Amino acid sequence: MASRPGGQAQRSRESTPHLHLVGAKATHTHCPYCAFQCGMTVSIADAAPHDLAIHADPDFPVNRGQMCIKGFTSAALVTHPARLTSPLMRAAHGALVPVSWDAALDFIAETLVALRDRHGAESLAAFGSGALTNEKAYLLGKLARVALRTPHIDYNGRYCMASAAAGQTRAFGVDRGLPFPVADIADAQVLMLWGSNCADTMPPIAQWLADQRAHGGSLIVVDPRRTATARDATLHLQITPGTDLALANGLLHLAIAEQLIDRAYIDRRTEGFEEVRRSVLTSDPAHVERVTGVPVEQQRRAVRLLAAADRSMTLTGRGAEQQSKGTDTVLALINLMLALGKVGKPASGYGCLTGQGNGQGGREHGQKADQLPGYRSIADPAHRETVARHWGVDPASLPGKGKSAYELLDALGPDGGIRALLVFGSNVAVASPNVSNIVRKLRQLDLLVVCDAFENETSADAHVILPTAQWAEEEGTTTNLEGRVILRQRVQPPPEGVRTDVEVIAALAARLGCAQQFAFDSPRAVFDELRRVTAGATADYSGMTYERLRSERGVFWPCPSIDHPGTPRLFADRFAHPSGRARFHVVPYRAAAEAPDAAYPLYFTTGRYREHYNSGAQTRRVKTLIEAKPEPRVEIHPRLAARLGVADDGVLLVESRRGRVRFRTHVSADIRPDTLFAPFHWGGRQAANLLTIPALDPISRMPEFKVCAVRASAASSAESER
Amino acid sequence: MWKKRLAIIGNGMGTCRLLDELTARGAHVLYEITVYGEEPGGAYNRIMLGRVLGGERPDEIVTKTPAWYDRHAIRLLARTRVTRLDTLRKTVHTEDGLERRYDLAVFATGSEPVVPPLDGLLDEGGALRRGAFVYRTVADCLRIRQHARPGDSAVVVGGGLLGLEAAKVLSDRGLHVTVVHLSPTLMDAQLDRIGGEMLGRQIARAGIFVRAGRTVESAYGADRVDGVVLNDGTRLPADLVVLACGVRPRVDVARASGLPVRRGIEVNDTLATLVPSVYAFGECAEHQGRTYGIVAPVWEQAAVLADVLSATQPQARYRGSKIYTRLKVAGVDVASMGSLEPELESDHVVQIIEERRHAYRKVIVRDGRLLGAMLVGNTAAAAGLVQLYDRDDPVPADPLELLCQSTACAATPGDRVICNCHKVTEQTLRQAIAEGADSVQALGAATRAGTGCGSCRTELGQLLATARKTVVRLEAVS
Repeated sequence: MASRPGGQAQRSRESTPHLHLVGAKATHTHCPYCAFQCGMTVSIADAAPHDLAIHADPDFPVNRGQMCIKGFTSAALVTHPARLTSPLMRAAHGALVPVSWDAALDFIAETLVALRDRHGAESLAAFGSGALTNEKAYLLGKLARVALRTPHIDYNGRYCMASAAAGQTRAFGVDRGLPFPVADIADAQVLMLWGSNCADTMPPIAQWLADQRAHGGSLIVVDPRRTATARDATLHLQITPGTDLALANGLLHLAIAEQLIDRAYIDRRTEGFEEVRRSVLTSDPAHVERVTGVPVEQQRRAVRLLAAADRSMTLTGRGAEQQSKGTDTVLALINLMLALGKVGKPASGYGCLTGQGNGQGGREHGQKADQLPGYRSIADPAHRETVARHWGVDPASLPGKGKSAYELLDALGPDGGIRALLVFGSNVAVASPNVSNIVRKLRQLDLLVVCDAFENETSADAHVILPTAQWAEEEGTTTNLEGRVILRQRVQPPPEGVRTDVEVIAALAARLGCAQQFAFDSPRAVFDELRRVTAGATADYSGMTYERLRSERGVFWPCPSIDHPGTPRLFADRFAHPSGRARFHVVPYRAAAEAPDAAYPLYFTTGRYREHYNSGAQTRRVKTLIEAKPEPRVEIHPRLAARLGVADDGVLLVESRRGRVRFRTHVSADIRPDTLFAPFHWGGRQAANLLTIPALDPISRMPEFKVCAVRASAASSAESER
Repeated sequence: MWKKRLAIIGNGMGTCRLLDELTARGAHVLYEITVYGEEPGGAYNRIMLGRVLGGERPDEIVTKTPAWYDRHAIRLLARTRVTRLDTLRKTVHTEDGLERRYDLAVFATGSEPVVPPLDGLLDEGGALRRGAFVYRTVADCLRIRQHARPGDSAVVVGGGLLGLEAAKVLSDRGLHVTVVHLSPTLMDAQLDRIGGEMLGRQIARAGIFVRAGRTVESAYGADRVDGVVLNDGTRLPADLVVLACGVRPRVDVARASGLPVRRGIEVNDTLATLVPSVYAFGECAEHQGRTYGIVAPVWEQAAVLADVLSATQPQARYRGSKIYTRLKVAGVDVASMGSLEPELESDHVVQIIEERRHAYRKVIVRDGRLLGAMLVGNTAAAAGLVQLYDRDDPVPADPLELLCQSTACAATPGDRVICNCHKVTEQTLRQAIAEGADSVQALGAATRAGTGCGSCRTELGQLLATARKTVVRLEAVS
């Protein structure tokens, strides 16, 4: 292997034979996909300037030279022939035609103003994304509140992180996905992964699980499927969909009954235990077994493993969180880890594996309906005052709390009152529950603007599509699953005709009369304002600079001053509530919004493939990935398949009360016999979200993607012709 | 808004759950709730009484302290005995002579232990004589605890759930314990003869004597109970006699209030009684001719009643409950659901008897659905069975599948793709390992696996490790 340029010593890594020469023009940046934000180097070959060579960065301490196939092939997006290079506008005859940027922006601004004059500012809305950098998320929030003057801004993180965020905030007083670096996983003697198939959804994390195992650690996986992650588990609890809360409460019941709890810790560091203790008295293991399908003996083993280890941690994924009681489920697991005395101890406690690339930063800087930058609350007068002062506006002019993601989309059109929607980096026509309803609502808009690099299912109904730059073409920061703020560096400029989101937002704001508040010439300028605005806030970025982020390979928030080292680990001494204590919460079990019955007798749950990312808007464009997984297949147990008379690779018609989808089957004993699973990466008639239910968590407003009731029947392949 | 007065008679597990269900539905906006309880303090989890009998503080099983009621603006009248309701004037009358108005009343008076009419058991006032006890409340447990001393001998009358639990706890406290049981085998409400016999042998192994197929004829003793006489003439001296002969719905107050009562207080699918504004649920209620003595049905009724009373789901209806028992008795795991025996010629039965492992498993199938099942000593399959039973899901063609494991007998097909970049399957990799590839690098050279993005290298390592283990094992065998 050749040595890297710049005089850096090449670390010998025999386990990374795939690393190749990093060329002279190599740029350190980060993957465009998930929250693991793998460090990567991108180089432009002199011979073929259009080919980007991507390699995993061996020195980035999170992925340590590993990457998954999605990141590995992400260059294909940058050079993809289908990417948009001119604004498109819907012409009178209905087709999208290329127009100039000025024409497009003028049209958008004029329509927005006209709608606002006629129907009020609340008729306008913006929809952001956990894929946006901190700078864009911040700026989009500011655009909505200052330039559009609407309360209605939310983002697809509501479909992703909202339950874990609400749970952590309530219990700890702060929400940072992992309160410790990923590397701590390797030191946990017991790791419980609850509703996470991270071996597939975040493949490079597997190295930390492997280290943990190599150190003699045990792995407990809670999942209705025997996933790639569960396959390596010491103990797999194959839970009934939608019953996670019952199991979590049941484990606490057992911990108390078997006297495994840490009384001294509970007295010293927490409040509210007594009432929780009483509330789980009726969660006895036999009852929990009946509800969850997890045998009593396995419940016992799990809680004993967790309690016996000095260092044990529980990490949740979307399985626990994407339920109409996701927040309570997270709180129940935090209750458990607090009662065992683990939170705040080395390599121990509770954490959440954030999903989207900037799922963490995206929820901190004001693109959420109830939030202002720095994890401030839009309902708190002091917070409003601070932010308004920085923005140079009257605090009273800041709108209040707006609608959450699904509720916002459900309110599109004349009936709901939202007439114009600006979408940045999100494919809501695939990612939303009960998606046929959302598609219908999108069509009722007076103005739908989609900013993206490619056309997608959402832009199919857009009045204007604005082509925006991709990850390798602009600078910006993201905050990974650990709360580490990192810098994505620009590899090359965007193609002719393409603008960055920052440029688009600034240009639009200027046309809406807010040029002064949006006078940014670069992402760095936005970040500098973000630093000032977040000073003193929970998610304090004020001590971070692009230079620091680059040289230190990221800085953990909070980082309140230039000489502050950042905060890799939270809760060692105190929690963020005023009392310094963590709070227990009474969270009684309640059933899912829709249970199987005689008419719809099966559970349906959704998830992800290793080869695809979220709505598939990007990964379905990549040849390698679409060849590997060309279509969604419904996973079905052999016993159920036999009963329904469908074979592997056959066609199954799956119907819920909201929609029907024909899926090709994948017959596998890895799934519960009462449950069907399908990935949600596809849109149109293959959309798993045609089936899902828009029941929302009352606290986090998270939709219940993980459980609804369906019926299934064998379909002839002729019927499957589309 | 003007609130209706909701009177709940009884403060047991049913009321505890009903209050949670009402609170969860925001019914505190509609109702001013008063709970009448005979026992002191708040509600507790009766299922855990064994722990109090075993020596734990009663507070350990209290689910709602009086402070909880205060916090939720619910009035708790503890140590208050209701004598009757005047359902025309809508008043609750209590033993202390007071009366209070209500708009809606809910009977949740639960059940009371059956005290068999035996000579020598009761004093002249009709109370149990010294040395004789029932086992139903915290106060009962404390009384037994105070009385029982190591080295004492105890006779437990009744070999059902409660009797066996009491027997085990007393045995653990160092007592000589004999269980007298009417039927030939124990727990005959949940287990068939084979299951009951197997359980009986295990109970005996645990150090408890069982006298099955016998009844107690009378108790003897001068100032107190000193023992019992069985119907076979045997005299069993006993320092204490615990009566665990079952329970019956507590309907005295309902009767005094003029409610229609058969075995229990008659209710319809909304848990309403025939008398307007009066509801009943739990062990005191009779629905479709059935009364229940276990907690799960009571909770199901509480949920429906809360739906109805809070009007969150006024069309909710209670259609009866499936009976499931799952517990550890004297160290033996037991699960039982539905019918104990086949009833029709066409009912299909599978039984697995493992005498030496003290395990018994049985399923009864009718028309492809589970009619009943029981497990003794090996309850790994309970989780899967009870869910199937609860949902009335189809049973696999070979019901043995249900007994072999809790859920799926997981097997992973060998053709799954491990390296996505180069589409290398597990089979190909196993082949390469068999042909000598002994490192991740060697596998890469042979198959290209792991030479793309590299994310599968961990998995390759594991494949190699498991392959090595297999080889070592084979060598050990040869």
